[in-house]
Amino acid sequence: MEYSSEDKDKRVTQLRKGILELAVMGVLYHDRHYGYSLVRVLSESGSISLKEGTIYPILARLHRDGLVRSEWIESDQGPPRKYYALTASGRHLFDELSQEFDLLVSLVQRKWNVAESSEQARKKLFVRKG
Amino acid sequence: MNDYPEVVAKIANDYLERVKLQLRMVPATERDEFLKELQSHLYEAYRQTPGDDDVGRILAVLRNLGEPAEVVSDRLPGAMVRSGTRRSLPLYIVGGMLIAMFGIPLGFGGVGVLMGLLCGLAGIVMAYYATAGSFLLIGAISMLLGVSRILLPHLWDKLVTLGLIQINGPLGDYFDRVSPAEQGLFWILVAGVFLASGLGMLRLGRYMLRGLLFLFRLVLDWMRGLAHTVRRNLRRNNREYSTAAFGIRHADH
Repeated sequence: MEYSSEDKDKRVTQLRKGILELAVMGVLYHDRHYGYSLVRVLSESGSISLKEGTIYPILARLHRDGLVRSEWIESDQGPPRKYYALTASGRHLFDELSQEFDLLVSLVQRKWNVAESSEQARKKLFVRKG
Repeated sequence: MNDYPEVVAKIANDYLERVKLQLRMVPATERDEFLKELQSHLYEAYRQTPGDDDVGRILAVLRNLGEPAEVVSDRLPGAMVRSGTRRSLPLYIVGGMLIAMFGIPLGFGGVGVLMGLLCGLAGIVMAYYATAGSFLLIGAISMLLGVSRILLPHLWDKLVTLGLIQINGPLGDYFDRVSPAEQGLFWILVAGVFLASGLGMLRLGRYMLRGLLFLFRLVLDWMRGLAHTVRRNLRRNNREYSTAAFGIRHADH
């Protein structure tokens, strides 16, 4: 059965949502940013097209969990900006999560030899039975 | 502070008002801070969006930002959950009807009427519990009588001789005809009926109590809402959060 493009979009959105939080943490790991600059960095460096507003729920969640801290800083032009940076526990969590992420990526990108793997699976089953 | 065209400020303020409406359940300080943050975002994004058409630029900024509901999505659950859980629907409807009948047209006076009504209900609930308690007491005494009649028949006879126990009327006639053991069983039966009624009332009372607590909580919530509205009206003249970024005085309604 063929999947619909709507179905695909839904899954892509779902996939991005999880990764976006990690990407936000990654950007804030090295530098502090305010909402709009964070959006710029994410969309320029990673060419992720995202609704800019989605960044704020993520920041709110990270802030609530104590993973980022924020401070208001006056701007040369216009209203003050709210800058975010990763806290110590946020950095620690990012280190662990990025390891987990690397593992998942390597799993997804691994070139599986289907015939071989199914043969191995059968062998394992046989061994267990014995 | 800057040279924003008025039409841009109006469009941006309208958006911020819509966000504010979405955040009405969120505590005021948190809400105002977030609006300030969004205001900064709109400013930065507008400044960096190229084009000659001012309206086109601000609309592009808002399009990129997304609908207010999306922008606030993760700020809502806590507050929504606080006000939405532990309310079973039928009771909520009953409470709503009560408020509709007595409260809304009367403002603070309506709250007074409702509180009076609830105190009356609380009195009924207390009387209910007193009845349940006396049923349990009668049950316990009857049980004691029944057991003592069976196990210590002489004690009972002595108490009757001394005149401490007097049972007259049809019940007395009945007792004269049956054995002490049967008399004891009769009392145990009576005890069972009273104990069962008392316990049953206690069990049913839990629902009454829960309903009453719910109504109290509803009225308290409503009072809080009313106080919030009054505060907001008082503060209406001081709405600078949404206009500061655009350097335009908000038109009073």
